[in-house]
Amino acid sequence: MKRTLLVMLLVVVAVASVFAGGKAEANSAAVSNFIVPEGGYDGSPVTVKFYHTMGANLSTVLNLYIPEFNKLYPNITIAAEQVGSYDDVRDQISTEITVGNQPNIAYCYPDHVALYNMAGAVASLDSLIDSKIEVTRADGTKEILGLTDSQKADFIEGYYNEGRQFGDGLMYTMPFSKSTEVLYYNKTFFDANGLKPATTWDEMEELCAKIKTIDPESIPLGYDSESNWFITMCEQNESPYTSASGDHYLFDNEMNKDFVKRFRTWYQKGYLTTQKLYGAYTSALFVAEKGTRSYMSIGSSAGATHQRPAALADGKYPFEVGITTIPQINSARPRVISQGPSICIFGKANPQEVIASWLFVKYLTTSVDFQAEFSMASGYVPVLKSVADNSVYKTFVGKADGGNYISALSAKVCLTQEQAYYTSPAFNGSATARDQVGSLLAKCLTASDNGNEKAMIDAAFKEAIDECEYQN
Amino acid sequence: MQTMHEKDLREESSHQIVVSILVKVLVYFFVITMALFVLFPFYWMINSSLKSLEEYRRSVPTFWPQDPLFSNYATAFTTANLGRLFINTMIVGVISTLLSLVITVLSAFAFARLQFKGKDILFAALLATMMIPGELFTITNYSTVTNLGWINTYTVLIVPFLVSVFYIYLLRQNFMQIPDELYLAAKVDGTSDFKYLWKVMIPLSLPTLISITILKMMGAWNSYIWPRLVANDAEHRLITNGLRNAFTETTGDVNYPVQMAAVALVSLPLFLVFVFLRKYIMQGVSRSGIKG
Amino acid sequence: MAELVESKRPWKAWIYLSPAIFLLLIFTVWPIINTVRMAFLESYSGLKAAGGQTFRIGIGNFQKVLKYQKFLSCLKNTFILCILTVPISTILALLIAVALNSIKFMQKTLQTIFFLPYVTNSIAIGMVFAAMFNMVGSFFGTPNEIVVTAGIINNLLEFFGGTAVNWINYGSSYAANITVMVIYIVWNALPFKILILLGGLQSINKQYYDAARVDGTSRKRIFTKITVPLLSPIIAYVVITGFIGGFKEYTSIVGIFGASMGPADNAGRLNTMVGFIYDALSSNSQGRASAAALILFSIILVVTLINLQVSKKRVHY
Repeated sequence: MKRTLLVMLLVVVAVASVFAGGKAEANSAAVSNFIVPEGGYDGSPVTVKFYHTMGANLSTVLNLYIPEFNKLYPNITIAAEQVGSYDDVRDQISTEITVGNQPNIAYCYPDHVALYNMAGAVASLDSLIDSKIEVTRADGTKEILGLTDSQKADFIEGYYNEGRQFGDGLMYTMPFSKSTEVLYYNKTFFDANGLKPATTWDEMEELCAKIKTIDPESIPLGYDSESNWFITMCEQNESPYTSASGDHYLFDNEMNKDFVKRFRTWYQKGYLTTQKLYGAYTSALFVAEKGTRSYMSIGSSAGATHQRPAALADGKYPFEVGITTIPQINSARPRVISQGPSICIFGKANPQEVIASWLFVKYLTTSVDFQAEFSMASGYVPVLKSVADNSVYKTFVGKADGGNYISALSAKVCLTQEQAYYTSPAFNGSATARDQVGSLLAKCLTASDNGNEKAMIDAAFKEAIDECEYQN
Repeated sequence: MQTMHEKDLREESSHQIVVSILVKVLVYFFVITMALFVLFPFYWMINSSLKSLEEYRRSVPTFWPQDPLFSNYATAFTTANLGRLFINTMIVGVISTLLSLVITVLSAFAFARLQFKGKDILFAALLATMMIPGELFTITNYSTVTNLGWINTYTVLIVPFLVSVFYIYLLRQNFMQIPDELYLAAKVDGTSDFKYLWKVMIPLSLPTLISITILKMMGAWNSYIWPRLVANDAEHRLITNGLRNAFTETTGDVNYPVQMAAVALVSLPLFLVFVFLRKYIMQGVSRSGIKG
Repeated sequence: MAELVESKRPWKAWIYLSPAIFLLLIFTVWPIINTVRMAFLESYSGLKAAGGQTFRIGIGNFQKVLKYQKFLSCLKNTFILCILTVPISTILALLIAVALNSIKFMQKTLQTIFFLPYVTNSIAIGMVFAAMFNMVGSFFGTPNEIVVTAGIINNLLEFFGGTAVNWINYGSSYAANITVMVIYIVWNALPFKILILLGGLQSINKQYYDAARVDGTSRKRIFTKITVPLLSPIIAYVVITGFIGGFKEYTSIVGIFGASMGPADNAGRLNTMVGFIYDALSSNSQGRASAAALILFSIILVVTLINLQVSKKRVHY
């Protein structure tokens, strides 16, 4: 049910294993539901309604770039509207679709798109992306309507491919801005005790044991999101989680039960906690200055400032924060979750509205300046590789440290793990699966088993599967 | 004999005084305890509105902000377009309250005083409509107002919720307590129903009407889902919508301290209206001259 | 007598009722008809319908609702909360209203305080409960147990010599969860009920009390023989609408337990009928949501009819 921190999920298990080596779309029989008309963009005046969730400070960044876009396309009016939370956007649009009143563009998570697609409301982007039709802009310059090869190549692959995770091989979303999970650690404490952050879960187990002997009052590791943890473990383990087609819910298997049992023993030894179990922000546990504290915290890369302790009177921080990639099962094949909003475009009776929407989406997602500025304001990471070479962004990342410039440090770590991003299949019900595995993990860590651990875990897995299957 | 009797009386009255003081103390103890119980969230709202985000997120909550951040109020005021939100909410609140009162009074009068076939069935049917969760109506009503062309107007914020079975029922209960004799006497005098309603029943039911006014105004203040759906443009946006998500942090978390400050700010006029209306409730009471 | 006077012009009543009926037909009756329609269309979904899909007529939605493994648990929670909270909040509100009405010193201030919850944002109310009952820490019930803070309520309990209770966190008991919910719901319901009952009390003519006082009637007798009977229509109103509201309990549980509707290790434990309807709506299964709403509706209808029947005998007009 907890959809507030929904993740961007992409086909890796399903699609990558089926279409290993080949491109998904090449094998797909599905036909794009939007075909660019012969004339392409005709310059007629249209208004494009854009629903998003950006708070005041991010809206400010967006509002700087709308006039820039209008210099190129003065006839396209952008009406950007903050609707509320991600859930609000979803609920509002699914009501509006029933009377054909949906906006043109929306912030989205993959399961939202799966929902809208029950009405076939989201325009597939393939025909637009591949279009070679030339468009003349107001300043006299030209561009092709679609994406050039270099533009396509500039997207971080994992992010770009999540637009195709809907089981039919078609592209429905463009990545907007992204985040992932990183491991925050108390660098001051680690240095003082000669500890090194763990790169694998095996190392993590030893590390927790050591920390527990140094500070028995501590909970060495806090993990924000049980759902992310479960899904990431499936991904690292290469064990089934869900599938976009056929039998959706595949997570009830022995490999998954094994890692759940392992973490249960860690929990019983007092090594770890999660946000729901702790009953307060795990970041608050990490930044605590006295009493019970944690020395490692796994949380969103966009929330770096929350993982920094409050500054002392002299402006210094009580301890320095280190950031690194989360532990892996196989460090040769690292996997970290990709989350954060994408953008989808809705089908409309007037194809010019769809084309105008696309031009704006393309402008935002391929503009290095916008991506750089938005990332710095939001703490998210840009979706384009070339942003790393942008001078302003470079200066920003160059300042990275474990104190004042902690957001930059987080961004720096994210840039180094470009190859590791994964997302899970999206279908109507993928959000239920995500909620259920989170609750499942929390339950399996803590529930009393009356002497029969296996029976308790088996029952919990079965109940989670039943719930998933019932809801859809 | 007489003196004996007086002494008895005196003893009895001193006994009564003790009892009545004891009762008073108990009553005050009870009411003040309950008042503190009710007051706690209000205090918490103010407490939270003065904290820094870091302090708000701590594991062990603090009962008074370590370093009160009054700047949260300034931030709240400048971030959201409060002036416009206020005006919209006032327009919708006042018009819908007035219209709603008229409709409620007329319907409650019909149910309490007039006789017609099927009255009981109709009343039961009205009660029954309260029993279906309103969220189920949203899709149908949304398509109705879209067909009427009401999207992004004040009309769509006012008209669909003018009739409240809750209020009709409440007022009917009140009207029914006014004795039949008054009504019959008025009939004999040739007073029209409408005049009787206006001159007798409304004044006698003033406290209830004021309660309804308060509840209805609160409704305009707190309504969220419907206004967001049908009138979320800058010209018509209402206060709760304007405040709910204006303070969203980058990670999707809400900056609660600033949001609380904003909420406290918009509560203030409402609170003043309350203090003002309380007098009217008392006046309404002193005017009622007959049974209940 | 009254009937005689009125039956001459029955159409007059309909004129008085016409504005209400007109609006109700459009914005309430029509949606209800639509709800019934959706309930009897197999697996109806508004989005699928918008996509051009058609649906067979049948009772599949009802079967699916009744087959849900936690359906009985939702029903049980709804009933328990309703049966506990309506009487408690009504009696408390009545006592507070009578007490407020009987005092002079600080009466105005106290009345204002009891109105304050109206201007307190619901988010703040949810937060306060988190702080009051929430235990922060981990490994409860294991040798490694760490309690960072036990919460205000537990601090108070321990101060008075009691032992801390795990109210809402993982490992908490169903009884503890329900206790918290009852306190929270009663708290939420109090201001409205006090306001309505106080309004009613202040309409009662002082002469009744004066007469009683001259007769030397005891306080208890005044309360049971004068106040309650004269207030009975308003009490009936508060109880009946309380039950209707109680059966629709949902947001208060989200306020305490979050969208998982239960402690961390037992998601969905406190889910209610309306929570179930919300779940169905959020996966756009309006057919199933409508069927569940109709089932809930028939339950509330029966309870309300019983209520009305009882109040007909007891209520004094």
